[in-house]
Amino acid sequence: MNLSQFEAWLADIDHRIAGVEVTASNLNKRRNRVDLPADKLVLFLEAVKGEASFVHLSAISCVDWIDDGEFELVYHLWSYELNQLISAHIRVSRDPGEYQSIYDLYRPAGFFERDIHEMYGLYFHGAPDMEKFILTEWNGIPPMRKEFDSEEFVEQNFSWQEYNPEWLKELVAEGGGVVIPCEEQRFSRSVATDHGIDQQHSNWSGCDVSSKLCRIDSKYRGGD
Amino acid sequence: MKEIKVENRREGNILSRVFDELNEFCRARSLFILHYCTGCGAIELPPVMTSRFDMERLGVQPMVTPRQADILLITGYVSIKTLKRVMLTYEQMGSPKYVIGICSCTVNGGMYWQSYATAKKLDEYMPVDLYIAGCMPRPEAIISGLRSLIRNIELGESNNWKKYYENYDYYLGNQQKLFGDEWQTPVDVIGEAEHYGLVGEGTYGEHTEILQRVQQPLKPLEMRL
Ligand code: SF4
Repeated sequence: MNLSQFEAWLADIDHRIAGVEVTASNLNKRRNRVDLPADKLVLFLEAVKGEASFVHLSAISCVDWIDDGEFELVYHLWSYELNQLISAHIRVSRDPGEYQSIYDLYRPAGFFERDIHEMYGLYFHGAPDMEKFILTEWNGIPPMRKEFDSEEFVEQNFSWQEYNPEWLKELVAEGGGVVIPCEEQRFSRSVATDHGIDQQHSNWSGCDVSSKLCRIDSKYRGGD
Repeated sequence: MKEIKVENRREGNILSRVFDELNEFCRARSLFILHYCTGCGAIELPPVMTSRFDMERLGVQPMVTPRQADILLITGYVSIKTLKRVMLTYEQMGSPKYVIGICSCTVNGGMYWQSYATAKKLDEYMPVDLYIAGCMPRPEAIISGLRSLIRNIELGESNNWKKYYENYDYYLGNQQKLFGDEWQTPVDVIGEAEHYGLVGEGTYGEHTEILQRVQQPLKPLEMRL
């Protein structure tokens, strides 16, 4: 199959698999976006792999559309013969959040699906392994879900300390440095709540040394 | 009249002081850094080690095993998963040991302050001797930091490693908060503290009680070919 044959093949695909919608990118000739119903994905992948040489699944990405109550899964497929990319977009319901694995078609999918399960809680039936992958120490809700508030989690589980050494204040007073006013910061942290014991432990001379070092550091940075 | 600066040396028996000073003098001139890096700050270490900045002229050089290393360099953000390994490594190192926190991320989380996956204040989990702030600090700053550490060791002021024994309950509590109550390491820190006479007010507490309750005796690993 050459490129023009492939274009004709892709233009024709919606006659063979109902509901497939192809959008060629007008920015990049190598990209083809395909939207399709979730139950047609395996059919589509089989065709694309068997007939059109898309043997490489480079990634599966996931987007959480919390307001629509859906996850969007994007399967990125590459053909080494045609040098073309197909990204197949499907939507699956957030609740109960399950879909089928394509491990039998593409082996690397095992990793991607395990990763998505860990980060979004989307379960893939038929995947070889849905155990913990990278976040082995994590017991909370999957952290990439939109309802997970990372900032709030940090507020509750970690303490924080201000780092505002004297030399920095001097610089700012001279009009140097970059000061971003609170209302322009995307996330503004409330003043750290230091427990007594933290105070006790962070008051040794090390802090002083570090501020001096930082001054040295900034001098060198400015110098070159 | 010009004031002559007198360095504050330790008091005590004159003879032991001579030995202590000799000890510290030697110690400060042969520091081994553990070859273990976290985060992105480690990228500034190759120039520090190699001929451009050459830390070996200070007697500092890399070492491959924690048992023979003196300095644990934490070169950037520490994820919770890494922190476990860092704790295991730290406890294995022989005393006296020194911890240097390089990068802003070890001070307060740096640009990852709002991430669920990284620990924020390194000094909650182990006593830190020195911070070198910056994102990331230049080799000059690291060399300068090493020199301050050497100076502190020579003056006998860098004894933060003792705090780990003296306040073990505090550090253990923070570790348990992240790793769960079943957290245990192969090193018997309380036993070591008792053995070396480093038991302080904060060695025992509610958290060490939890540890003693859940602690499983260590079994030798099965040897297999
Ligand atoms: S302070 Fe900057 S360079 Fe250092 S670990 Fe953090 S992000 Fe990386």
